Amino acid sequence: MNLIRAYFRNVTDGLLTPFRSVYENRSLYSILVKRDMVNRTSGTVLGKLWPLVQPTLQVLGYWFLFDIVFAMRANRGPDYLEYLLSGMVPWLCIAEILTRSTMMFREFSPLYRRNPFPLEILPLLIMTIPCLVFGAVYFILNLLLAGPEKAMFSLLVMPMLMLWLLPLCFLLPVLGLFIKDFTQAIPFLLMITMFLTPILYFPTMLPEGFRQFIWLNPFSDLMAVIHGLVQGSEYSWLNLGRPFLIWFLLLGPSWLVFRRSIPHIREVLS
Amino acid sequence: MTNAAISLKDVSKFYKYYEKEIDRIKEILTGNPRYQQIHALKPVSFEVAKGEVLGVIGQNGAGKSTLLKVLAKTIIPSTGEIQINGRIAALLELGASFHPDMTGAENVYLSCAIQGLSKKEIAVIYDEIVAFAEIGDFIERPVKTYSSGMFVRLAFSIATHIDPEILIIDEALSVGDGAFSRKSFDRIMDFKDAGKTILFCSHSMYQVEALCDRVIWLEKGQIRKVGSPVDVITQYSELVRMASPKEESLDKTSNEEKEKFQQEVESTNVKSIPSIVDVLVRVGDKVGNVHKVISGESDLEISVVFDPGEGVPLASVAIAFSGGDGRILSSTGSVHDGVVLSLNEKGQGVAKVVFPQLALLRGNYYLDIALLCEKGIHLYETIRRAAEIHVEQKGLERGFVVLPHRWENTND
Repeated sequence: MNLIRAYFRNVTDGLLTPFRSVYENRSLYSILVKRDMVNRTSGTVLGKLWPLVQPTLQVLGYWFLFDIVFAMRANRGPDYLEYLLSGMVPWLCIAEILTRSTMMFREFSPLYRRNPFPLEILPLLIMTIPCLVFGAVYFILNLLLAGPEKAMFSLLVMPMLMLWLLPLCFLLPVLGLFIKDFTQAIPFLLMITMFLTPILYFPTMLPEGFRQFIWLNPFSDLMAVIHGLVQGSEYSWLNLGRPFLIWFLLLGPSWLVFRRSIPHIREVLS
Repeated sequence: MTNAAISLKDVSKFYKYYEKEIDRIKEILTGNPRYQQIHALKPVSFEVAKGEVLGVIGQNGAGKSTLLKVLAKTIIPSTGEIQINGRIAALLELGASFHPDMTGAENVYLSCAIQGLSKKEIAVIYDEIVAFAEIGDFIERPVKTYSSGMFVRLAFSIATHIDPEILIIDEALSVGDGAFSRKSFDRIMDFKDAGKTILFCSHSMYQVEALCDRVIWLEKGQIRKVGSPVDVITQYSELVRMASPKEESLDKTSNEEKEKFQQEVESTNVKSIPSIVDVLVRVGDKVGNVHKVISGESDLEISVVFDPGEGVPLASVAIAFSGGDGRILSSTGSVHDGVVLSLNEKGQGVAKVVFPQLALLRGNYYLDIALLCEKGIHLYETIRRAAEIHVEQKGLERGFVVLPHRWENTND
């Protein structure tokens, strides 16, 4: 009984502490978000346009390869470009956040090493700029290709991702800091995950026997929900329930790990 | 106690040593400890009253820095409780959180925000910070374009403008170069005069004794002694001398300050600060840098001529005799002797001191000259080994110096 209560406390703490801390340190947070933007754009010619141009180019690249070169047009379902776009932009956002999260403690060490610093704002901080940037690209592209109504729905996607990725943003920084091999492996893991997730292809294009296994990958469920929200394709309660269950089971332990590792972080880096 | 600014109860810090790095992650995941402890600070308890200036002394590795960092909240103590009443400004590693690509102005906001100030609060002090740092239009340029002097000026200005109640100082009572060095020293003295609590950690026993109300002596992570500066420093210096006789010298602090902040002297925009122009050492009619002196007979006359600088009270002068091993055998200072120096007709400061019938015994000695602020704390300039004195003697006395003495007739 106590164990269950302790578990729930960890879940609520893990969910609330980062948001509370961001609120309490809001001026610090807003300055750091700005600093993050400076980091991305300083020294470039296009400057402030780059964050918008880069994801757009990435999407266009994939579209060119799969739609034009491979001529992978779907016989059923919605238009391929629209489909590719609605899955690819959120995925690029996820990939960027997860890659960065493994380096999070190293990246911000100049800030907290010699200062009292609220480390628990970092997970939300590293998600903010990617979500804002990809969110903007996502909205604009949807507005152009699918109209204002679907574009409005697309605005829901980034906040949802931010919330769902929170446990991973507790866990991956700790793993990335203490096990350096992990940082090396993450690009490979992300690539495999992308291929196992229906982003470049429709789930219906998979062989019959294989199709049931893609739901072992929570990102498949996530994509089904996103496609449903933005494109109006069908999705079931299972697609919502499975990621939620994983999220719920992961949040408590990952927050515990994050909290326990805080006293170690400065020692490892100094 | 309600009037304590800082209160520590059984505060300790041990670093965790893991045989394999992987053990660390295992510990985090399972919660079972797998480390060996390396103590940097064993449990210490003490209080610092509001307005008190507390000195922290000890040899390298004694745990001074760990203690200061624990108080500055940059490391988390392993055990114990710390209560701190009031905002802390730590002059530990200045500018460590600056982002090189952001402008000075943005870094002001960033540093203040890390200290917990809101944007409104920062806006109020922003102009003062920039004015004090004297970096002009550079405030709108990225910090990476700053010289190291500008960098440290801005960082110091930020650290001391957040209206701290408690100031933590590691080693240096001043930062930057030339005129700013004096200005930063004055600012720290203002904090002292305003009754702020100060924790001052230094190797310069002279400065600790001059400033502190109470001193803590740390040794191997433990408090060896707490007490008045005179008591603690006397014992400590004795121990340091026994361990390594060459440690002491007049300009020790200044060297450490220089290493610490890697100052560069900027010739531009520096108001003239006091500096030594000339040192004249005279024995009889002879003036020069090397003298032969007869113990107990020759008079030694030293004149120090200095440029008084601009906008600062007239400086003071100190003179020290040291042996070949660098240990100071005797010293004297105009502040301590209550002498106010004067200007000559050229507007230069002049200090003249005579040692009649020099009481040093046979041996080679060196004269070190120091130019200090009017309080005798802030060091403008030193000249090491300004002159060499070879003392010869007629008698067979042993030692360094003849003490004033008289033999009394016991037959009375």
